[in-house]
Amino acid sequence: MSLAPVTEEVLRPAEDVAPDVPWVTIVWNDPVNLMSYVTFVLQQHFGYAREKAEELMIKVHTEGRAVVATGRREAMEADTEALHGWGLWATFQKDA
Amino acid sequence: MAQGFRRSGRGGQRRFVATLDAQERSVVASLMAQVRDLLEPPQGPGTGDAAFDDLVAGLTLAEGGEGQEAASLEAGERDPALDRLLPAAHREDEGAAAEFRRLTEGGLRHRKGSALAASAAVLGDGDRVALDEPQAHAFLTALTDVRLVLGERLGLRADEDHERLEVAADALGADDPLVHALALYDFLTWLQETLTEALLRS
Repeated sequence: MSLAPVTEEVLRPAEDVAPDVPWVTIVWNDPVNLMSYVTFVLQQHFGYAREKAEELMIKVHTEGRAVVATGRREAMEADTEALHGWGLWATFQKDA
Repeated sequence: MAQGFRRSGRGGQRRFVATLDAQERSVVASLMAQVRDLLEPPQGPGTGDAAFDDLVAGLTLAEGGEGQEAASLEAGERDPALDRLLPAAHREDEGAAAEFRRLTEGGLRHRKGSALAASAAVLGDGDRVALDEPQAHAFLTALTDVRLVLGERLGLRADEDHERLEVAADALGADDPLVHALALYDFLTWLQETLTEALLRS
């Protein structure tokens, strides 16, 4: 009988299903999309109030990027696809 | 003289109305058609966007130094303008980005192409351009996609690049392709701004 530990991957849950590590959708600043348009798209797609959408838009503009949504990976992928449809520069990733 | 979009009417009768003359409509519709062609799924070498290249022929934005005209692409190389229309969805994980592209790119190309075609068609109906809300949304995405491609061709990479181009354009003659392309870009920006503001206020 071996005293070697059980293989590591059995003990470590797959990244994708770790419940406490959400994924995020990020919108990046770009020189083409208008500030008003980014606000409009965030309101349209996420149903955010004007104030919240503007806050996120300003963050994109001044900091170069903003997390615009948090949740399951599939949902973040769907957000990213929709935002690409609107022409925004969006990505998804595991929350750091 | 063009008049930007304004809201007209209420409820189900609500429309977003602009007035554009025949030449303005023709130029915008032509750009939309060209971007639609660019979004057609690749069919092997030789399917570059020649018309767009004609439009912005001679654009060499020296400061950028890269001269990214589509014409200079090797066969099979992806046009950088496509990466603005269909950007990578994951910045660190290339595998995830490739999988996302495989699952979504066909649908996105189709939806963008439909919005561009519908918007170009609306522009054929006369100087008074009246859009209901779904048409207005399609028109916004169509204008965005045209501006993304034109912006890429102009070498807009950072927020300050537009100002840099304006300074460069001031030193050139009115018939210079850069001056022409920048004027088109600014016209589309203005048109999109008026439509966005009209939608935001409604």
